Amino acid sequence: MKLFVSEGNPHCLKALAALEATGVQCGVQFVNHDERVVPFLSRPTLPALALPSGQYLFSSNAICRYLFEVNGQECSELCDQWLEWEATVLQPALQQALHMAVLQGKSSEVSKVLQGPIDVLEQSLSKRNTPYLTGDSVSAADLVLWAGFFPVLSDSSPTLGEHKSLKAWFDRVAAMNACQSAAQKVLQGKGLQGMKSYMQRQPAPQSSQCRETQPCNSN
Amino acid sequence: MALRELSSLEKYLGQKKANKYSTQGDKKVPVLQNNNGPPLVGLVTIACHLAKEAKRPELLGDTAESRAVVQQWLEYRVTKLDSCTKEDIKTVLKDLNLYLQDKVYLAGNQFTLADVFMYYGIHPVIVDLAIQDREQYVNVTRWFDHIQRYPGVRHHLPPVAVLRNRIYTSRHH
Repeated sequence: MKLFVSEGNPHCLKALAALEATGVQCGVQFVNHDERVVPFLSRPTLPALALPSGQYLFSSNAICRYLFEVNGQECSELCDQWLEWEATVLQPALQQALHMAVLQGKSSEVSKVLQGPIDVLEQSLSKRNTPYLTGDSVSAADLVLWAGFFPVLSDSSPTLGEHKSLKAWFDRVAAMNACQSAAQKVLQGKGLQGMKSYMQRQPAPQSSQCRETQPCNSN
Repeated sequence: MALRELSSLEKYLGQKKANKYSTQGDKKVPVLQNNNGPPLVGLVTIACHLAKEAKRPELLGDTAESRAVVQQWLEYRVTKLDSCTKEDIKTVLKDLNLYLQDKVYLAGNQFTLADVFMYYGIHPVIVDLAIQDREQYVNVTRWFDHIQRYPGVRHHLPPVAVLRNRIYTSRHH
């Protein structure tokens, strides 16, 4: 089994943190952003996990879920729900936020774009009152969401002052050795600037305000 | 759209009691009211819950590997496929065509929820596809035809005649 990652790619942060947290035996290879690792995908997609069967996983969330399951921790329904929320709600907002912060130098706009998802997370954490998103121990959902927020929260930092539960959760996950080590490997202490060459290769984000073409199957 | 898909899945699973759904936000994300706990939110999350409740865990994959592959394609459906533009769709079809080259189903040899929801999601695309394109993406077309004929899956969607009889094409055209 082998995990392919690239520097400055925030999705690789998820996979590396999950690999270190679970301790699953797996080789890690750093490649360039534009290396096509997954044979059937036209666009370079990282991280990618080559499975023992020869199949590839190309979704960072599926990779994290797999590593936790191999380690004996299956994803609960609550975990499923956070992973789906991360992919469908948080990621589009994050892509827009990172595009503005890293490429356009508009760090001040970041908190506006992320306000919605931040409120959702704060509300849920304060209501449940557990140390981690799905209970008393770390799940794939914690690492996936932490890694999503890490680049923006660790750098220009939209103030989390009023979001006490979110801040406590974020600091708790960020303090894990697995997360610190993954962050060092992927961003090398350069924060948002460490993501510049990755972001330059990404298509400009679609947002509801600036979408030029309608989705092809919006019925 | 999402609610009709979930209702078709319930019929496929043979569930008798009707679940109560609502939607949330502009994108009309499905929400399942759950008697035993807080509501579940999201098409993939709810679909997986229904399969487990119907005691059909094999629809989610029967090994850790295939479970991850199934989740990956379910995620692909609600992220890439649902938000893709007319231009992106060519890449989606091309990639899927290459992926399906040596596979019967998305998770290999086993029919799973990934097939069901990728089929529902790609149906409007296949309907709009010109005949030549359907032949260009022959592995996608073959898989699509296979799933739409799979007993109990199609429900709310009209059948699409995707394959023309190719036996005579070289002589008669």
